[in-house]
Amino acid sequence: MENYTKYKLKERDELVSLLADKDNLFVIACNKCFKEFETIDEPDCGEFEKLAAEQGKTITGSAKVDFLCNKNHTEQNLQDMIPEGTENVIVISCGLGIQTVADLAGKPVYAASNSLNYRGHHGMALTKKSCDACAQCYLNITGGICPIVDCSKSLVNGQCGGAKNGKCEVDGEKDCAWEKIYRRLEKQGRLEEFLNQPIQIRDYSKTNVKVIQDYVKSIREERLEGYYGGVHPSERKEFSEHIALERFPEPKTAVISMSQHLGAPANPIVQVGDTVKVGQKIGEAAGFISAPVHSSVSGTVVAVEPRMHATRGSEVMAVVIESDGKNTLHESVKPNKDLESLTPDEIIDIIREAGIVGMGGAGFPTCVKLKPAKPVDTILLNGCECEPLLTADHRVLLEFADDIIYGLKAVLKTTGAEKGIIVIEDNKPDAIELMKEKVAECGNIEVFVARTKYPQGAEKTLIKRVMGRKVPSGGLPADVGVVVDNISTVKAISDAIQKGMPLIERVATVTGEKMKNPGNYIVKIGTSVKEMIDYCGGVTDDDVLIKMGGPMMGFALSDLNVPMMKGSNGIIAIDTDQTKEEACIKCGRCVDVCPMELSPLYFAKYADEQNWQGMKDKNVMDCVECRCCQYICSSKIPLVDKIKAGKNAIRGMK
Amino acid sequence: MKITELFERGEFVVSAEVGPPKGIHIEHLLEEAKTYLSGITAVNVTDNQSSVMRLGSLATCKALKDQGLTPIFQLTCRDRNRIALQSDLLSAAMLGIENLLLLTGDHTKMGDHPQAKPVFDLDSVSLIHTVKQLEEGVDLGGNKLVGEPPKFAKGAVVSPCSDSIDAQLAKMERKVMAGADYFQTQAVYEPEKFIKFMEKAKQFGKPVQLGIVIPKSAGMAKFMNDNVAGIHVPQEMIDELKADKEKTKAGITGVEIAARIIKECKPYCQGVHIMALGWESKVPDLLKLAEI
Amino acid sequence: MLITQLKAKETIASLAEGKKVFIINCHGCKEVRFPEKEAVELQKELAADGKVTGIITTDYICNPENMKLRLQKHMSAIEAADVVLVFSCGVGVQTISEYLENKTVCVACDTYPMPGFQGVTPLEYDCKQCGECYLNLTGGICPITACSKSLVNGQCGGSKNGKCEVDGDMECGWERIYRRLQQIGRLDVLKCPVQVRNFATDDEVSK
Repeated sequence: MENYTKYKLKERDELVSLLADKDNLFVIACNKCFKEFETIDEPDCGEFEKLAAEQGKTITGSAKVDFLCNKNHTEQNLQDMIPEGTENVIVISCGLGIQTVADLAGKPVYAASNSLNYRGHHGMALTKKSCDACAQCYLNITGGICPIVDCSKSLVNGQCGGAKNGKCEVDGEKDCAWEKIYRRLEKQGRLEEFLNQPIQIRDYSKTNVKVIQDYVKSIREERLEGYYGGVHPSERKEFSEHIALERFPEPKTAVISMSQHLGAPANPIVQVGDTVKVGQKIGEAAGFISAPVHSSVSGTVVAVEPRMHATRGSEVMAVVIESDGKNTLHESVKPNKDLESLTPDEIIDIIREAGIVGMGGAGFPTCVKLKPAKPVDTILLNGCECEPLLTADHRVLLEFADDIIYGLKAVLKTTGAEKGIIVIEDNKPDAIELMKEKVAECGNIEVFVARTKYPQGAEKTLIKRVMGRKVPSGGLPADVGVVVDNISTVKAISDAIQKGMPLIERVATVTGEKMKNPGNYIVKIGTSVKEMIDYCGGVTDDDVLIKMGGPMMGFALSDLNVPMMKGSNGIIAIDTDQTKEEACIKCGRCVDVCPMELSPLYFAKYADEQNWQGMKDKNVMDCVECRCCQYICSSKIPLVDKIKAGKNAIRGMK
Repeated sequence: MKITELFERGEFVVSAEVGPPKGIHIEHLLEEAKTYLSGITAVNVTDNQSSVMRLGSLATCKALKDQGLTPIFQLTCRDRNRIALQSDLLSAAMLGIENLLLLTGDHTKMGDHPQAKPVFDLDSVSLIHTVKQLEEGVDLGGNKLVGEPPKFAKGAVVSPCSDSIDAQLAKMERKVMAGADYFQTQAVYEPEKFIKFMEKAKQFGKPVQLGIVIPKSAGMAKFMNDNVAGIHVPQEMIDELKADKEKTKAGITGVEIAARIIKECKPYCQGVHIMALGWESKVPDLLKLAEI
Repeated sequence: MLITQLKAKETIASLAEGKKVFIINCHGCKEVRFPEKEAVELQKELAADGKVTGIITTDYICNPENMKLRLQKHMSAIEAADVVLVFSCGVGVQTISEYLENKTVCVACDTYPMPGFQGVTPLEYDCKQCGECYLNLTGGICPITACSKSLVNGQCGGSKNGKCEVDGDMECGWERIYRRLQQIGRLDVLKCPVQVRNFATDDEVSK
């Protein structure tokens, strides 16, 4: 890979005269971007320090920083970086880094380097092609060869008389752009078309500073709104957002996994041949962080054996039940006392016994969350559904608004929190309107509208966005007085209290550009994914990627004979993408989008080197696996896989 | 004749400004200049003023010179790179034009060809520096000129009533450092501001000509307040222009105001530069009323 | 990574007129700027005329290796088209047009410069890579990008109320510089020698 550099140290003479009247220098060097990703030190910093020492200057310290132009990170880094006694800050970086530091340092800042005009890769990949961003693209008349960049004179009406042997008069090694253009057009039989073009006169007013500045301002606002980082993938929710919930047909066979939650798998408490009823407990929680599992159908247990698990990618103990189609309720399923009469502990018992776990996907046992170790003042209900394509939560908001409020009230009661906030993204105006109406007379419940950005719904980003509070590294929401629950989870809490029904069904979206008939379904846990896809008319062609969950955080399914689980919010069929992993070009975009403010590029590098300690030191355990880094990566590096490998290895280190 | 010679003699130097037409007929311009401006020291010729394309400054200078007037060749950095600028400077010297006013120039977007590429290869300071180099017989590329080098009176501009006066003074200092011999100012309507400015500008020891634009109407004054950098017409003046519409229309009010400003500022400056903007005919009256 | 805007609708229509079209959308460097909704609308209209042999939406088409991999499964649809219409920045179009050398590859977007190096986040700062960094003379505010005229010797006379003559919303770069120098007590740097830009550097260093 070519190693670009955006700057080089200024000439010795200039540096000497720069330093003439300055002393007590602190040196900040940028670790450079768009280059082969090594951790070998850049020589510039040492070179400069040597020169300064020769001039008898005192250096108060130096620092090497990644992506100095990343204001957010640089601001944090600078906080304690510059020692007392520093009079001048010398920066070795491109002009962007220097300007960033000059804005933040509060001390005189000087440049020790010149930015170079590299004409190589104005795209994201390291490419020879470049674009001058003239705002009046001429490629249509030049066969796709840029006359602005490739011609030394940026001529737009044809060759000048200066080319000799096909080479440019300015640079004898450079092909004349207009000869290339001519040959390309000739080859495509487009010479006539070219000759008939009107005379081109460049319009230099088109690169309108104001337009560009407004763009950048809006982009930055969007990027930094509420919390650092995040991305805006195409939402494509129009496939299913308008489709009302439908009860999915009774599955003939329900495969109910004992591991649908974070923590220890449940222990099966039924045997082959047993008759079970709807809502009957069939698996017992196997520890504090665990959850019981219930039958979603009435019928006969036909197997208790390991079955393929959708998200683990391996076989996990499951209870397989042949439905009798009668849906006979188990005698344990009966309404509880009303909310007013229940004590917080009673509510938590009901939630635990109902096997309720976080239904946003993580599957953390809800009863544990509701007994936080620290006092909690606010409950955030996550109705963001920031994953593209999925519309399950959207439909739940619209069709079970009262249940959601009931469930939230129950959560408020158990935690003693003063306030409940239902957070909905602004791409669901109908849900916002309805919920606002519903909470109007509640007093301590309000609706918060958040501008759409992924991963809004991740606990920590949600808290930052709504409350402006930052959960410390390695910490829990309760550390900042907050508990976050998904709206489907509180709906399940409402069912458990009001109907006595454990968590045996959920709402899931079946969608994607390759799904014939998208829809939103109330589906029983244990229903086969394949059955669901078939019911929706199947997929449009063979070239398809099926995922459980959304396109960002969902799990690719190679085997469709896997059951729906408590956390399965959707099944999507989307286009495949053929790419291969390429070397990191250190573009810094993963750092730019990581909502946890980490540096994912190091995870890729360290995972390949099996440097688990390095990953740990870079706080990989704070990663929420939102996939923003992988989504944005121009080198198509499977960052999330590498991060997961690192996390597993680090867990093993303990 | 270089106008610097007059400054050296301690004369109060009066210059006025003409704008070449958008076309090739300059008979009218010459006629007006001869009639109304022959009594003054020198005549500035603008260089595609306000980025509006017109007949060239250099050719117009030559035509004025042929009529016996002393032209000041205005040269901006907007339309020419350093090669064209130096070439035009040599041409001017060859034609016997000795007075220059060196400016950065308005941006192309301000004029009638907003699509044009703004050049700004040099700026006013580096252009002054370039002229000084040429005077020393070397061009900006470090190459020797053949024969006797040209000699000019190098003028520059400054905006004394600008809202960022410190930055303006800093720039003025740089112009002096680069070799500016004299200054003409942006139009002044606030004598007290000008006087304050001159107290600070005195240190540079360069002659300064007070800039005057005769206010034609209240509307024009307001327009300048809203749109023209470094100009602020106080409300009393606007009221004065409004008071007697006929008198204002006849140009009398404007001339009175301008004359007052000149009289008030005269002790603090070394000359006056009148930008008549089509009211060249009023210049003699103005000078008379200002007792110059 | 560059900011793109659609060309005029008539221009795009004239490119596709009477021809079969294959469309490639590049969602650019994501999170920057691609007029996604407008492009979709326009393409719907083209498709309604029945002239579209295929549409793909992808990212980073400037990355030639992955671009080739992704185009492979669409080659027959590309073959069937008279024109490949690319909605991307100039780099993307050039990468495609070199790969599909015998096809007429047309561009439906104009590309605008983005402050900050193309390739990283859009920044409030800009650097024109002039190769002769002036930041030492200006308190760390770039006169090349913060001044509409890229003046290096101080303010022009065109600013009004501290705003640039070219754009009333833009602060005069040189006023900012002056304030910054005042703030850090370095107004003395304004007494530095006359600066004459060297436009040769940028070409030389790019070699």
